[in-house]
Amino acid sequence: MSDKVLEMYNLNKVYGEGDTKVHALQDVSITVNKGEFLLIVGSSGSGKSTLLNMIGLLDRPTSGKILIDGTNTTTLNDGKISSFRNHKLGFIFQFFNLLADLTVLENVMLPRQIQGTNASASKDAKELLKIVGLEDQMYKQANKISGGQAQRAAIARGLVNHPTIVLADEPTGNLDSVSAQKIVQLMKSMAKKLGQTFIVVTHDRHQFGDVDRVITIKDGRAFEGQESTRLEAVA
Amino acid sequence: MDYRLQLAKRMLFNKRGSLVGAVLAVTIGILVIHVNFVIFQGLFDAIVRDLTDYRFGNLQITDEEDYIDKSDQSLVNWFERIPYVEAATPRLSSTASINITKFGERIEETRVPIVGVDPLRDIRASTVHNTIAEGQFVYSRNSIVLGSNVAQDLGGAKVGDSVKLKIVDRYGQEQLKRFIVTGIAKSPGGQGFDYSVVVHIDTLRDLMDRDGYTGSIMVKLNDPTKATEVKDLFLRTFPNEDFIAETIEEAAEEQLAGFRSGIAMINMIGYFGMMSSAFAIVTIQMMLVNGKTKEIGIMRAIGAKRRDILIIFLFQGIIIGAIGATVGTAAGLGYTIYAKETKMSFNNSLPLEVSIQWDKVIQTALISFSLAIIASLYPSYRATKLLPVEAMRNV
Ligand SMILES: Nc1ncnc2c1ncn2[C@@H]1O[C@H](COP(=O)(O)OP(=O)(O)OP(=O)(O)O)[C@@H](O)[C@H]1O
Ligand SMILES: [Mg+2]
Repeated sequence: MSDKVLEMYNLNKVYGEGDTKVHALQDVSITVNKGEFLLIVGSSGSGKSTLLNMIGLLDRPTSGKILIDGTNTTTLNDGKISSFRNHKLGFIFQFFNLLADLTVLENVMLPRQIQGTNASASKDAKELLKIVGLEDQMYKQANKISGGQAQRAAIARGLVNHPTIVLADEPTGNLDSVSAQKIVQLMKSMAKKLGQTFIVVTHDRHQFGDVDRVITIKDGRAFEGQESTRLEAVA
Repeated sequence: MDYRLQLAKRMLFNKRGSLVGAVLAVTIGILVIHVNFVIFQGLFDAIVRDLTDYRFGNLQITDEEDYIDKSDQSLVNWFERIPYVEAATPRLSSTASINITKFGERIEETRVPIVGVDPLRDIRASTVHNTIAEGQFVYSRNSIVLGSNVAQDLGGAKVGDSVKLKIVDRYGQEQLKRFIVTGIAKSPGGQGFDYSVVVHIDTLRDLMDRDGYTGSIMVKLNDPTKATEVKDLFLRTFPNEDFIAETIEEAAEEQLAGFRSGIAMINMIGYFGMMSSAFAIVTIQMMLVNGKTKEIGIMRAIGAKRRDILIIFLFQGIIIGAIGATVGTAAGLGYTIYAKETKMSFNNSLPLEVSIQWDKVIQTALISFSLAIIASLYPSYRATKLLPVEAMRNV
């Protein structure tokens, strides 16, 4: 098996039709290797979330191909895609990560319960909650904890199914700088400890310090390396 | 516990208002059916009861000719040997003109139904003697009981008054006889002899010149469910006579038919009520689904399939239906028992015949339970149509 966990070829996404048509992604081709911590940066409206939604199989591209773990996902039906998300991907969103009707622990267990592999779900979830520092919060209702704690719980939930890739869209966007730093450090340490691939969208490149790779999105196009650094400097 | 059931339960119970609203909708739907049943079926059964007790018995024997010429004594004896039969009594009917002279003024009523009874047997087979509001039942050959309406029409005739009866006999001759009013009959609900007069059957036979003839035999059973059995036995025993034997349902068909369709219509209205409670559930659940857009998006994002989302909201329908059916049935039974215990009456007069029909109770509960689930189908389906990207959208 190759080290490539994600391959994207000529990805395009067009929203709307006619006058309101938006070419949100244009010919994006990116390959990500196992264990990489990848940042996606770019100005507001550049297409970062759109790209992440494509990778996360939350939305379908207008054209192009996405392979995850060597599987071409563009031909999968809705049920297969759900199952694929469940087994191969972890998600951390900016807002609304947790279901308010469940406790923190139940939220973290949820991906495993959806899988139907309940056996060690509770044990694994508790272990992860301990690692992210929410040991004493896990029986609380999910809407009774702070924003930083919720993001940490989301990280635990994102990892509980041992995904191929964890996707995060502005995971610190809603937090004060101290909490944000904690989340950044937590993600980076988990990435290192578990060899876990992370793809993180942020508008604050500097918050993350040293990372494996940075991709800049501008007007729906992806740039990397020197070009990327130059664009960053402009931004 | 299945996580979907748990989520369904939590989402529902955390929205107390919606849950109560939806349960109330089911409850009211069921309660309406129960209340309708108590009142209208109770009224119907009360009328059947009174017609049975006052006029027809559980089984009524007549003759294809207008009169039974076989001895009433022997027929009554034949019936009373059957264990299911409590008592039997002969009756004879005709119409009469009746007049009274009060304070020198003569008041006449024509075409008054007149019933001849055998006082000693009648009180065992019928309860019409219990409707005597003043005075007493027929006890001698020249005593007459006036229905309260007849008494009123005769200028307020009272017990002890003397009235004159005129009957056309079988030969077309007018026969006259003077009677003493011994009682006034008034039944709650008016199914008794309120519009008739009652005399001794032998007196009426004399006046009609129908010695030994009987109009009908009223048979009271101690087990009303055996009416058809007794009827068949009777017809087999007397195959060569022109007897007609009818159960109360057959005998009173004319009086009951209209009522039956009325009840069917009321029930229809009840079921429409249930339908509207189903629409209430659709609305409430749509609100629940719309309020959970983000949650559904998150669940879909982390791998829940459309089917899982469908199941979560169908579970809610099941929970609403189950609680609603239970509460509604309990409330309905509570009302029924209350009506029974307090001997509820219709229009403050006719006491309702309240009964609990378990098959109907269970049927009503099951229908509303099913309706709640059916009602949740559409909102559940809509929930499955929400896209996982919804979770990503900012506020
Ligand atoms: N569902 C949609 N329908 C139509 N246009 C959309 C939709 N989603 C995004 N767009 C458009 O696509 C472009 C890229 O949007 P996207 O959300 O990916 O930007 P972004 O880089 O994530 O911005 P931000 O930093 O503000 O989150 C924008 O012009 C946006 O208006
Ligand atoms: Mg975005």
